[in-house]
Amino acid sequence: MFSLYKKELQSYFLSPAAYAVLAFFTLTFSLTMIMDISNATDLYEFSFTSLFYVNLFYLAILFPVLTMRSFAEERKNGTEVLLLSSPISVTKIVMAKFLATATVFFIMLVVSLYYPMITALNGHVILANLICTYIGFYLFGLVCIALGILISSFTESIILSIVMSEAAMILLLLVDNIANYTFFSNIPVLSDLLHWLSNQQKFITFSNGYMQISDLFAYLTEIAVFLILTIISVEKRRWSRR
Amino acid sequence: MVEIKNLTKYYGQKAAVKNISFTIEDHEILGFLGPNGAGKSTTLNMICGVIPSSSGTVTINGFDIAKDPIRAKRCIGFLPEIPPVYPDMKVKEYLTFVAGLKGVPSVKRKAQAAKAMDRLRITDVANRLIRNLSKGYRQRVGFAQALLGDPDILILDEPTVGLDPEQLMEVRNLILELKQDHTVILSSHILSEISAVCDRVVIISKGEIRAVDTIDNLEQRADTNPILHLKVRGTSQDVAAAMRQVDGVVNVSNISRFKTGIYTYDVELTGSDIRNPLLAALLVKKFDVLEVQEQKKNLEQVFVKLVNQSGESQRSSLQELLEELAAEEASSEPQTDADAEDDATNTD
Repeated sequence: MFSLYKKELQSYFLSPAAYAVLAFFTLTFSLTMIMDISNATDLYEFSFTSLFYVNLFYLAILFPVLTMRSFAEERKNGTEVLLLSSPISVTKIVMAKFLATATVFFIMLVVSLYYPMITALNGHVILANLICTYIGFYLFGLVCIALGILISSFTESIILSIVMSEAAMILLLLVDNIANYTFFSNIPVLSDLLHWLSNQQKFITFSNGYMQISDLFAYLTEIAVFLILTIISVEKRRWSRR
Repeated sequence: MVEIKNLTKYYGQKAAVKNISFTIEDHEILGFLGPNGAGKSTTLNMICGVIPSSSGTVTINGFDIAKDPIRAKRCIGFLPEIPPVYPDMKVKEYLTFVAGLKGVPSVKRKAQAAKAMDRLRITDVANRLIRNLSKGYRQRVGFAQALLGDPDILILDEPTVGLDPEQLMEVRNLILELKQDHTVILSSHILSEISAVCDRVVIISKGEIRAVDTIDNLEQRADTNPILHLKVRGTSQDVAAAMRQVDGVVNVSNISRFKTGIYTYDVELTGSDIRNPLLAALLVKKFDVLEVQEQKKNLEQVFVKLVNQSGESQRSSLQELLEELAAEEASSEPQTDADAEDDATNTD
């Protein structure tokens, strides 16, 4: 499994994908930072919390670029057969791909640490808030990655994979807004369900410096569900492939 | 040893592979022969555990591919139809990665990759991107991949596609060399391919086994009736009549006009020793023999007939099959003969 993980990680940096995503993430992060600072007045205080909140939406646009290839390209190259005929289980294949993408995301976050560090040198950073924001941000990112890999396993067309992933990840963020519609919130069970699924709210709790076990658990459950669905999807394709 | 029992695969309602069983002994090269779409790749994919079977079992060195896939897959090196290579990787990098994937300990990976590259003669492209390689090289990189991890059993799906004649010979020799410590299953739709290296052949068509036999039996049987291809000056009726009078001429067929006064004939003989009496008979009658060519009733024809048969009954040996074919041929031959002659008189 480790060699597959290593190869996946390597292939991100052998193609422009990882660099482009890293650059774009740094760009959006820097731009939102600059805007937030210039907007800061007596009434509106600059905080990293709101900065990360805005960047949550950029993640949904960026991640499909990372995840689009994971299974779609294997299928296109015919290398899926290699993985399936190797002495390695589908679970390990999926985990290796997930962990490789998670590592790229981790590198992105390490790069973004630059701004809090500068701020800490010249001003004041609320450490509890910042750490929890990072944890929340990372976890939500992992949910997106798991979802992107799942969608990539549905199709062999990279374009289709990217478009579907964009839509799905944006939907993942907009569950909150849907849950807040009076139309839906009047239906008791559905309202509970939508609120349980709402990702923004969980992130906001994190970014306020609270780490609730329920939120942590909810994110981890989402990741697990998407990964298990990916395993099922790959196995299902094995059964129906020709 | 690979044991295949009652293997069946359905794609929806359509059966791609129907209830096939055979065994591959150790250190044997088994050819898997059939036209495109016969179910060759499906069967090989099932043996390798890439796709699950609808029913039936595959046992590899005692491990069931469905129940103990990891240990069964450790015994297999698989070269699929399309070489499973990553275009963004370099050859050496790719082979080292695959060695890791197959569970080769990290200290041995480089050595194994180097050995595989050496065997396939691709060391000269070790540091090139696979994207930039030609089809033949990619095919060989795919083959090298199958050798990694020293599997006992090699399963090669059309290993020589895209190779030039020289590379073809090299790969054939390699397969024969690998036979010493490997069991090889080889698929192809080209018969000469199979007959060059295989000990035994499984002929498959429309998902069913048509024959399992050794290549020797196949050849012996196929060789018994040689066909002479003659080009003779003279009217077709006279020449054909003269040839039919010779003892040992089974059939004169496929008479066609080459140019005015010159015709070509296919003459089936009971044995090669009839050739001289036949030629003598023609020369005595002052027919000018322009060309003589001995055409063996080759394996290709046998194969084509085998796979074209409407296959309700399954035959256990090729011999039976060939006898049946011969009978069929004999009954249909006079018809074509007459037709050809008609044609000939018309053009005269």
